[in-house]
Amino acid sequence: MVKVHFRLEDMLVEAPAGTPLQAIADAAGADITFGCRTGSCGTCRVRVVEGLRHCSEPGSEERDFLKGLGSPADERLACQVAVHGDIAIDYLGL
Amino acid sequence: MTSIETLLRDKVLLLDGGMGTQIFARKPTADDYGSAALEGCVDLLVERRPQWIREIHESYFRAGADAVETNTFGANPLVLSEFGLADKAYALNVQAASLAKEVARSFDRPRFVVGSVGPGTKLITLGHVSYADLLASYRVQMDGLLDGGADAILIETCQDLGQIKVAVRAAREAMAAKQRKVPLWVQATVETTGTLLVGSDISAVLTSVEPLGIDVLGLNCATGPDEMHQHLQALCESSPFRISCLPNAGLPENRGGQVVYPLDPAGFAPKVLHAAAEFGLSIVGGCCGTTPDHIRALAPGVDKLNAPKRDPRLERSAASLYQSTTLKQEPAPLIVGERTNANGSKKFRDLLAAEDWDGMIALAKEQQREGAHLLDLCVAYVGRDEVRDADELLSRLVSQITLPLMIDSTEFPVIERALQRSPGKCVINSINFEDGEAKARAILDLCKTYGAAVVALTIDERGMAKSREQKLEVAKRLYALAVGEYGLDPGDLIIDPLTFTLGSGDEEFRGSAIETLEALKLIKAELPGVMTILGVSNVSFGLNPATRHILNALMLYHGVKFGLDMAIFNASKVIPVAKIDPDDRKIVEDLLFDRRAEGYDPLKALMARFSDRKAAVADDHRADLPVLERLHRGILDGEKQAILADVDEALKDHDPLKLINETLLAAMKVVGERFGAGEMQLPFVLESAEAMKAAIRRIEPHLPKESNYQKGRILLATVKGDVHDIGKNLVDIILSNNGFEVKNLGIKQPIEAILKEYETWPADAIGLSGLLVKSTVIMKENLHFMESLDLKVPVILGGAALTRDYVEGDCRRSYRGSVYYAEDAFEGLRHMQALAAGDTAVPPPVSPTQSGDAITVIRRGGASVALTAAGQSSWVRHEAAVPTPPFWGVRELADAPVDLFEHLDDFALIRNRWGFSQGAQSDEAFAAVLKDKAEPQLAYWQDRLAKDPLFRPRARYGYFPVRAEGDALRVFDPTDPSQTLAVLAFPRQTAGRRLCISDFFRADATDVLAMQLVTLGQAAADHAAKLYKEDGYADYFAFHGLATELTEAYAERLHARIRRELGIAAKDLPGRALFAQGYQGSRYSYGYPACPDLEGNGPILDLLRGAEIGVTLSDSHQMDPEYSTSALVAWHPQARYFSI
Repeated sequence: MVKVHFRLEDMLVEAPAGTPLQAIADAAGADITFGCRTGSCGTCRVRVVEGLRHCSEPGSEERDFLKGLGSPADERLACQVAVHGDIAIDYLGL
Repeated sequence: MTSIETLLRDKVLLLDGGMGTQIFARKPTADDYGSAALEGCVDLLVERRPQWIREIHESYFRAGADAVETNTFGANPLVLSEFGLADKAYALNVQAASLAKEVARSFDRPRFVVGSVGPGTKLITLGHVSYADLLASYRVQMDGLLDGGADAILIETCQDLGQIKVAVRAAREAMAAKQRKVPLWVQATVETTGTLLVGSDISAVLTSVEPLGIDVLGLNCATGPDEMHQHLQALCESSPFRISCLPNAGLPENRGGQVVYPLDPAGFAPKVLHAAAEFGLSIVGGCCGTTPDHIRALAPGVDKLNAPKRDPRLERSAASLYQSTTLKQEPAPLIVGERTNANGSKKFRDLLAAEDWDGMIALAKEQQREGAHLLDLCVAYVGRDEVRDADELLSRLVSQITLPLMIDSTEFPVIERALQRSPGKCVINSINFEDGEAKARAILDLCKTYGAAVVALTIDERGMAKSREQKLEVAKRLYALAVGEYGLDPGDLIIDPLTFTLGSGDEEFRGSAIETLEALKLIKAELPGVMTILGVSNVSFGLNPATRHILNALMLYHGVKFGLDMAIFNASKVIPVAKIDPDDRKIVEDLLFDRRAEGYDPLKALMARFSDRKAAVADDHRADLPVLERLHRGILDGEKQAILADVDEALKDHDPLKLINETLLAAMKVVGERFGAGEMQLPFVLESAEAMKAAIRRIEPHLPKESNYQKGRILLATVKGDVHDIGKNLVDIILSNNGFEVKNLGIKQPIEAILKEYETWPADAIGLSGLLVKSTVIMKENLHFMESLDLKVPVILGGAALTRDYVEGDCRRSYRGSVYYAEDAFEGLRHMQALAAGDTAVPPPVSPTQSGDAITVIRRGGASVALTAAGQSSWVRHEAAVPTPPFWGVRELADAPVDLFEHLDDFALIRNRWGFSQGAQSDEAFAAVLKDKAEPQLAYWQDRLAKDPLFRPRARYGYFPVRAEGDALRVFDPTDPSQTLAVLAFPRQTAGRRLCISDFFRADATDVLAMQLVTLGQAAADHAAKLYKEDGYADYFAFHGLATELTEAYAERLHARIRRELGIAAKDLPGRALFAQGYQGSRYSYGYPACPDLEGNGPILDLLRGAEIGVTLSDSHQMDPEYSTSALVAWHPQARYFSI
């Protein structure tokens, strides 16, 4: 099991390793807004404050999208991430 | 003695505040100016009312300023000539500077005087004034300021990139003449639009000014400190110069006809100090609306600041008037478009001969669309005046093109005139040592004066360098001169080690490509930082076009591997190496690397192989293949025209049914597999389907009457209340072209209607589609209804809002027949194939997902925020003043389709709507797909819609007075605010921030709500329907995606207008970041997470009177015609997307 810390509301959620972050956020009712859920709108951008290496590698789509925004390496699209270890995240759409 | 430069090494320098504000506070009269005709000539007051100016300087010094600016903002002959005072310019500058110096000397600690040089009243880039006149005018001012004793020159409030470069040159020449060197500061004025007045962004300014070697580059005027953040950030990251920041006292507001600056000293100082610390500023002060009190408020904080330490990184770049382009492109190389060249392009030469300037500009724009990064421009034409042609063309071109220019000429006067006409940073093409160094030196002088990069050819007195060693030797000599002696940045020296043709067979040049490639490697290794370039297509000169394509592509490919940064190339002709036939590739590479063998000469082999080949690479030796193989490839390549001849030929001696079943359907199966494996994108799949359709049509008349090649049938429909067509139509296309019979019932189909159809047309399955979240519920209800009728027909469900868990769990539990989830059309096809094969067992429902159960909240976190007495989330702060809209009520707009492209999110279009995804392809292969297919497709539509506007976009928007009441907004009648027009209710988050859209509006005062509605009109929907009906699958799909994104683009265009009109556009981020809510406020559309209920569309359409532009609501509250969207716009800085 892995733990995800949603820092905005200080919520801690546990889930099986490999669970998509959007499933965790949806099930826990975290305050993250998803738009297209396909990695091309950027609404669900998060900063992975801890445990970046526990996130699945970005696919080419996400990589190209974030590159287009000039995002630093710790920014991810929550809809594209699977969680393989403990992480802490900040939602960036505020 | 302390100089202003040594002071800057130790501390942050405090400059003064506004001069004009202080002067006008003294209410100058005609008498003060000397006569009514001179009223407003503020620069004259140095002579007429020196005591005023002295007092103002004193008041700033007393407030703590380290330096003051002279009262010479407009004191140059060009501006003063408007008052008939051009002759006074020099004297006024001397007087102003010496007066300020006198005041400075009366203070104990070191105080300084900065000579203020304003932008003048004429924009050189727009042709208001000639280069020579502007230079001469500034020279007079610079002479005066220097003679008057100014400690630094400040070229400020710059609105025009061209003007900055002229003023800097004037200052340099004045300093050289007087042998008195003082620091040279430049300040640009970035408007709320995010650019200078003429449209340059800050990176274009930095790139263009950087080679001029100034001392400070900063910002002043136009906005307050907050709005400058993004531009200061850009300078902080990249500028090698110190940064200054002199904002206005906030964004000016119009209050009752008076311009008011909202920030008082207490509000201003912390913002400026924050910016100073955050962005490493070296100089701060104030501009319009700031007073000695503002400077006094800054002083203690500035004293505490240390001189900033930054680590700027500047990529070597070139710039157009508008934007900067890095010379190091990822992936390499940077492409220099070669078609605006009278030596290389017949088309351009003909346009030049006809003096068709617009035609030449169109050709330039075409290259921009094709993906060129830089434009090579050459107007050399025997018998014509090249200087005049350069002047005529550039005066028109520079404001119409966003690409930087490569000035390609051998004539010094042409290069100089072109540089004077081009406001950004150009590349000069080129220098060499053919006739010694004199000419190269003259051109390098131009590089220094105008701030340009330069291409340098490895040619010396002995001629063109042929061996790698000789190329390197000449390159080193070029480096020693340009970088060593002239001080160019190595990255502004672009070495061309020359390309020779391999087409002649000349023994001397057989190894020339190897020498060039190896020279690239040596140059990059031994001359760190320099860039490299090749005129790649020279390599194939003399060969036929088909050979040239491939040889050029491979030379480019290997060039990049050996260190090539830039290539002069026809951007539309870049073909991906992966697409080259392996046999062709081998021979061409043998030629490139001179791999001859006994009895094998690659050049001869190549000429034989390509002797009759056309340039279209896709057609390569298809004719040699057996006909069935040709059919197979025709389907895979989507050759809907070429396949017909192959079908005709195959029909001669093949059974038509077998052709379909064994050849065509087998090929479609491969298409499906490739799509599934991520090797083929949807647009290509659709082209294959079109070819399939065309082939089948051709075969059908030959089929025996009772024969049926179809494997099964399916009824397809989009469910009740949902108007979305495209997903269902894609399924139709894929299934019907893979051997299934499809009856497509259309959109908004109630289950009763679908089942009625099923009674008369029994099918193997029913396919239900829908995009809305609500549609997923309807699908489940439909299954319940079918269950109540005791039906068993299999059902396939698909749509964006569905999940596999929901379909295979909830939906399967609702119905005893088989229920399948289809993630895409091909999964639907697999289900149909299984059903047709007799696999009709009912799959059991999947129990509620393990993962869903296993997700547990360990800690809920902080309690929800409290609601205020007014019932609003206390997380939202109502600090900012409510903006005043330019009008109340509703207005209507109409635009041309092509206008919308400016706001188009091309990433969303290409990747999401058009389905170009990388899948299993390498980065290189996918980049090639984007470049060869996706981008040209976009360019095609843009061009098409420019020439033939298929539809007419229209919009209505308006501003309404509103007040928040708990979870609702009360909308008042703008003409009679006592009347309520509507009450809009919104859902509220139940926990956490407990947000509701109404929270972003004031409950205690009248606020402003903007509303917008855009539509591409019925004509757009009709055009999509027409394409579908005509089986133009790929076009239909492309147009639908484009129209959907253009609708969004129109919404963004209108939203941007609203932000500008409300004065909140300063926070707009540049580039793609804008599409990820990179602006202040939010645009909420019904049906999205913050307000999911589509019923809200009703009041918007009523208030905006949407029917006047033909937009109405369907009974499911969706807008009709399809390509329409509406939104509520909140201006509040905290208004962002959120989920209920």
